[in-house]
Amino acid sequence: MASAHSDHGHGDHPKFLAHHFDTPEQQFDAAKFGMWVFIVTEILMFGGLFVAYLIYKGQEPSVFIEAHRRLDWKLGSANTIVLLFSSLTAALAVRSSQLGKKNETTMWLMITIACAFVFMGIKYVEYSHKFHDGLLPGRYFTAHLPEHAHNGQVLPQRANMYFALYFMMTGLHGLHVLIGASALGYVLYRNLRGDFSPEYFTPVEIGALYWHLVDLVWIYLFPLVYLVG
Amino acid sequence: MATEVAGAHGHDEPDHLAPYLSQEAGRGVKGWLLTLDHKRIGLMYLISTLLAFFMGGVFALLVRLELFAPGRTIMSAEYYNRAFTLHGAIMVFLFIIPSVPGALGNFVLPIMLGTKDVAFPRLNLLSFYIYVIGATFSLYSIVTGSVDTGWTFYTPYSTTSQTSVVSMVLGVFILGFSSILTGLNFIVTVHKLRAPGLHWKRLPLFIWGTYATSIIQVLATPVLAITLLLLAAERTMGVGIFDPALGGDPILFQHFFWFYSHPAVYIMIVPGMAVASELFATFTRRAIFGYFAVAMSSLGLALVGFLVWGHHMFTSGQSEWATMLFSALTMLVAIPSGVKVFNWTATLYKGSIELTTPMLYALSFLVLFTIGGLTGLFCAVLNTDIHLHDTYFIVAHFHYVMMGGTVMAFVGGILYWWPKMTGKLYDEGLAKISWLFVFVGFNTTFLIQFVMGSKGMPRRYYDYLPQFEIYHKVSTVGSWLLLIGFSICAWVLIKSLRSGPKSPPNPWGSAGYEWQGTESPPVMQNFRETPTITRGPYDYHLCTDEELFDGFPEDLKK
Amino acid sequence: MSDHSHAHDDGKVHAHVSPFLFMVAIFGALVVLTVVTVAASRFDFGSANTLIAVLIATAKAALVATFFMHLKYDKGFHALIFVMSFVFLGVFLLITLEDVDTRGRVDNASTVRMHERRGEQAPGGFVLDPRGVQARERQPAGGGAHH
Ligand SMILES: [Cu+2]
Repeated sequence: MASAHSDHGHGDHPKFLAHHFDTPEQQFDAAKFGMWVFIVTEILMFGGLFVAYLIYKGQEPSVFIEAHRRLDWKLGSANTIVLLFSSLTAALAVRSSQLGKKNETTMWLMITIACAFVFMGIKYVEYSHKFHDGLLPGRYFTAHLPEHAHNGQVLPQRANMYFALYFMMTGLHGLHVLIGASALGYVLYRNLRGDFSPEYFTPVEIGALYWHLVDLVWIYLFPLVYLVG
Repeated sequence: MATEVAGAHGHDEPDHLAPYLSQEAGRGVKGWLLTLDHKRIGLMYLISTLLAFFMGGVFALLVRLELFAPGRTIMSAEYYNRAFTLHGAIMVFLFIIPSVPGALGNFVLPIMLGTKDVAFPRLNLLSFYIYVIGATFSLYSIVTGSVDTGWTFYTPYSTTSQTSVVSMVLGVFILGFSSILTGLNFIVTVHKLRAPGLHWKRLPLFIWGTYATSIIQVLATPVLAITLLLLAAERTMGVGIFDPALGGDPILFQHFFWFYSHPAVYIMIVPGMAVASELFATFTRRAIFGYFAVAMSSLGLALVGFLVWGHHMFTSGQSEWATMLFSALTMLVAIPSGVKVFNWTATLYKGSIELTTPMLYALSFLVLFTIGGLTGLFCAVLNTDIHLHDTYFIVAHFHYVMMGGTVMAFVGGILYWWPKMTGKLYDEGLAKISWLFVFVGFNTTFLIQFVMGSKGMPRRYYDYLPQFEIYHKVSTVGSWLLLIGFSICAWVLIKSLRSGPKSPPNPWGSAGYEWQGTESPPVMQNFRETPTITRGPYDYHLCTDEELFDGFPEDLKK
Repeated sequence: MSDHSHAHDDGKVHAHVSPFLFMVAIFGALVVLTVVTVAASRFDFGSANTLIAVLIATAKAALVATFFMHLKYDKGFHALIFVMSFVFLGVFLLITLEDVDTRGRVDNASTVRMHERRGEQAPGGFVLDPRGVQARERQPAGGGAHH
């Protein structure tokens, strides 16, 4: 154990090591632990929406089933694959930065960020269809009116709840996709600057953890909202 | 060595071995506003939470003044609704929740752990600024029409009220993130940054309490965030999730709200318990009786706190089965609370009690929290609660816990750590007088509310029947005594800052880690040498005379 | 530091490096499970539909957490808090569902029964219990829906 002051200006305290940590390992563990605690908070925040969704679905199952047919499960599945793939590339970015392969890390990070944009693009297509069909949340819901009939059928007005929850859940998730992509963008910038090495790749690891969280939320969201109704 | 190190830094670099309040530790306004030092951030939290306490207190005084006589006294019913709402919202979200963790926790926790800072200093500063932004939103709401829904924002009223609900809700939403980040920071700090030798069974009870609080903050606050987000979406976009007209369920709002807000009661009281444990140990000069049980009971409260939220909804129309379940589970809360109270009492028995002002506050905490806790059991019993629900009995109950508990412990904690924070001593005589006013004023204000409530006076009412007038009059007079008490207390602290004598490193002669090996005020990196812990925090029998000496080191040699 | 009880106490970061092909295989498994969940949604398992979807999703989440997020090689405590977050969420869901599902079982006059506007049964109210709670006559929509 180094005494409190002997570590200033000494060679054994690398530049990336903050002054209140003794070893890189301690700093790395603290960062990762902090991220896991943060993931817990995110799970509980999204969890609240899932609880609301499951409760209202349990109350009006037939309405929810009818309403979910208006989502495009093909686009949802495509987005699932995109996110799963981006999770793979994020994990590979961590791997290559652990091995000190800077260029590979750059490539994997760029693919991950590109996937985020593909995901948001597909989301945009989905959303604009919903807007067009009057499948809007709450009081703006108009899909029960004859002019929005779909294959000659209209939805019951009570389906507004399904779309309220759909937009809240996918909207909040989309926001997290954007935040995650920005975070990975910052990691990418630092990677290009040459901050990382096999001894120090904490931000890559943390950014990737966040990105996997975004994936985790979607893993539950997709079957519950798109498939089961 | 010290000068050598200081010389290695540039002029703008803070000197890690200068007292943290000095210019060398960070210059001017920038040195404070951009500081990453947990002690400075703690002090900024202290100032802001005290400002919030002042604001919330003003609203409380206005509410009591309005109730001094039946009918209109000083304000209209509309403004009365706003006044009690703001009193509640400010006291809960801007004052109590950040008070002990933000102010005292930030200052004391790393020093107790024998480390230089919290695990994520930048996140710590960010959390303070998120608090400031949240507070700004709340202030904006207050000046643009304010809120009249009560601090609980119950739907459907909160979705239809014409007042400025959205900005207040966003303010509270933002404040929640400040709370989450503080909790996250503390959890990681406790796990990863303990000094050598400081294993879990040697952690001070203040740390155990703050740690348990942090767990609740991290687990519960996100649900508040999503609740408020849904409420804001409901008001701005009409999503209808809590609106029966659109198929929503207003009672679901109450589930969401109380899933956070009951655990939040423990975010408020457990830190108070944590402070009180430290005060009892120091001023009885002995180890806390049943140390491990007290530590575990904090965690027990944190866990049980997640199972009982529905006791706020006994009369809401929730299912009778849920009501019975929640009533039974709520009784469990008495177990960890009882463990604490009995162990503190046992600590007092045959301790060498020193009645300093912090100790007087700690003893007030013990008495008032016990009253608050026991009356809570009345409310947990279903048939009694049907009668007591939404009356002044409830108001008195939670003020005994929140104010009689947490605020007493907070003020006691401020006075106790004041010499460490500022390096100054305060006027004990005057402080004792202020304590007397606070204690008597508190009981005058709230004890009679139990009577008034059990006789049927509903809470939040603007007007009342003539038979309640005498109770309201006594209660209002009590609020004036509280005002006098807190004003004297403020004067004691200001006087100490201006002309208080310099404090020795360990003015109370405590065995607590934060008093050992630090100066008053501590240097920027807390310790000149990383401490190695070789005993428990309350092992008075293992301490040398030097460690427990309450004067200046140079006097010890004489 | 007191937390350091590892065999290698040199203070350096020791993180597991997963083989490239292994990661790709995990991705493959995730895709397969996605196909399975889509396929399963084609069949009606009645009330088990949601449960099956959640179980498959949990299998996928477990793969992501264990291998992509390195929980397998990480400190056990991280896995513990990760699982605990789901436990607390479960408490929230189950007790709230318990309320919503049993409203009005004992005292069927105790809750709001229907939408004022539509005269339909309110989700916040109770669903009349076929096991013998006597159905009360439905009051006209608008006005007087509250008991
Ligand atoms: Cu409660």
